[in-house]
Amino acid sequence: MTLIKTNQLEKKYDVGDTIVHALDRVSVRIDAGEFVAVMGPSGSGKSTFMNVIGCLDKSTAGLYLLDGIDVSRMERDELARIRNEKIGFVFQGFNLLSRTSALENVEVPLLYQRNGVSPKERKDRARQVLAMLGLEDRQHHHPNQLSGGQQQRVAIARALVNNPPLLLADEPTGNLDTKTSIEIMELFVRLNEEKHITIVLVTHEPDISAYSRRMIRFLDGQVVNDEVNRP
Amino acid sequence: MIHLPSIIKIALRALRVNKMRSALTMLGIIIGVAAVITMLAVGKGASDKISDQIATVGSNLIIVVPGSTTAGGVRMGSGSFQSLTRGDADAISSESSVMLAAPVISGASQVVYGNANWATSVVGTTHDMLGVRDWTLASGRNFYEQEIRSAAKVCLLGQTVADNLFGNANPLDQTIRIRKVPFTVVGVLGSKGQSMMGQDQDDIIYVPVTAAERNLFGRRIPGSVHYIMVKAVNTEELSRAEEQIRQLLRQRHRIGPDQDDDFTVRNLTQMLQLTEQASRVMSLLLAAIAGVSLLVGGIGIMNIMLVSVTERTREIGIRMAVGAKTWDIRTQFIIEALILSMIGGLIGILLGVGFAEILSHFTGWTILISPFSIAMSFGFSALIGIFFGFYPAYKASLLDPIDALRHE
Repeated sequence: MTLIKTNQLEKKYDVGDTIVHALDRVSVRIDAGEFVAVMGPSGSGKSTFMNVIGCLDKSTAGLYLLDGIDVSRMERDELARIRNEKIGFVFQGFNLLSRTSALENVEVPLLYQRNGVSPKERKDRARQVLAMLGLEDRQHHHPNQLSGGQQQRVAIARALVNNPPLLLADEPTGNLDTKTSIEIMELFVRLNEEKHITIVLVTHEPDISAYSRRMIRFLDGQVVNDEVNRP
Repeated sequence: MIHLPSIIKIALRALRVNKMRSALTMLGIIIGVAAVITMLAVGKGASDKISDQIATVGSNLIIVVPGSTTAGGVRMGSGSFQSLTRGDADAISSESSVMLAAPVISGASQVVYGNANWATSVVGTTHDMLGVRDWTLASGRNFYEQEIRSAAKVCLLGQTVADNLFGNANPLDQTIRIRKVPFTVVGVLGSKGQSMMGQDQDDIIYVPVTAAERNLFGRRIPGSVHYIMVKAVNTEELSRAEEQIRQLLRQRHRIGPDQDDDFTVRNLTQMLQLTEQASRVMSLLLAAIAGVSLLVGGIGIMNIMLVSVTERTREIGIRMAVGAKTWDIRTQFIIEALILSMIGGLIGILLGVGFAEILSHFTGWTILISPFSIAMSFGFSALIGIFFGFYPAYKASLLDPIDALRHE
């Protein structure tokens, strides 16, 4: 089943007298259950691709179907709803709310759910996801009381709490040491294999991309290579 | 829409993080609301007191006093000239704009009943005085017209005099002695309380003006009176009544066109009404100043909320990334501003009430804290929170999620 389908996706920036093609006619298909690494040097367009796929940014031309829905011409608040229901984000800098417990951080996406989730249910669900990631005894810790690896796991818990079909990770190991990076990558592999969560991961490190099953390489806004890593 | 108790919890946490800043931000609202509450309490107290006094003195009152005399170059002051007479009072009462007119001869006297005695003011007047001053009778009756004509030795007692001479006994039909002259009590007046000057208005005895002249306070010119109290038919006719009285008296006293009046006409009610108006204007003015301080407080809230939005750009980005919509972000910041202004408003109300009480304790001013002024200040501070919180909230809600996430 196709989860992501883009057709001739373009993103142009008007920078004074020149036009920068951050995305240049990108047509990609990603099926549900895939684990894809998006590679490329900085300025290659991989981050823009990530933002458009994540519904944080809009393409200037082309088509983008997410889970069969055309999201390429959606309004701000519609995109917010899509992000809430279909996408979980994991960032390089963790992006947890400071002075807020791990549990409450994980609850945040539930707060903005369309149908409203009762405070009790929010807590229960957040607790379950934290437990799944081995953080049950860290629920009430604030981000500054957690190690980098723990913080990133809280962020992954937050990304998973709404059961989205797609997990987007932007350099998730960029701020972590090698040992912790391996732990996090193994967690991604586990989530992909056991929970069948589709993962799209942006990285420039070959070691990290090696965990994925497919690699898409960007250069100057175009897809230059798309190959299967491991079956 | 996002769950309200959760959003309030988030707002309270954000405000707690910067306790000092939140407190200082509230200060403007606190001062403004406290000032509004105090001003309204003092102003309302003052104007209510004046209104009460207008009611006790009697409404639509005019007082006519004789002019001054000159004795060997020494001017004797107002009232020294015995130019007004009982006849003048009768004539005034038949003017179209006048309802009643009562002549007055008064003096201080020691009054005696049995072994009790009391110094009070004895006022010789007619049965019309009760109507002029809006007196009620606690018991007994008013003078008969016949008793005025025949200089009957009857009297009406004020509450204070009745209490001091008779205690709990019934004064009706008892005989008291005023300057050794026996007078029969025919009625006891209802209570009026203190006048604006703090005088006890119930410390008074009314006797027929004729009896007062004949038996108590002899007059150099028979029939002359100290002053005449006049009640106009209504407030609209007050100034016309003044003019009619002036014309009438000039005619009766045969005053030529180039001669000065030998009397003065004063409008008592107008004086009180002017005082009331002045106090109302004063309290409005102070309320306006307080309003300006509220406005400044509101701008302070907006300022701090703008700083807060900038500081928390990343948080806004995170919330947007996980699905917060425009109004989710907007509501969050408006609620924060609202909590700031409402807590400020509450503290301001408490301080204002406290300050008004302290003020009345030390100055003796009458204060009146109306529930309306409390509700109004609270509502107004809430409104300020929403109004001045909106722009920062609006700015926050329009941030680009990607830029916001990258913000350091």
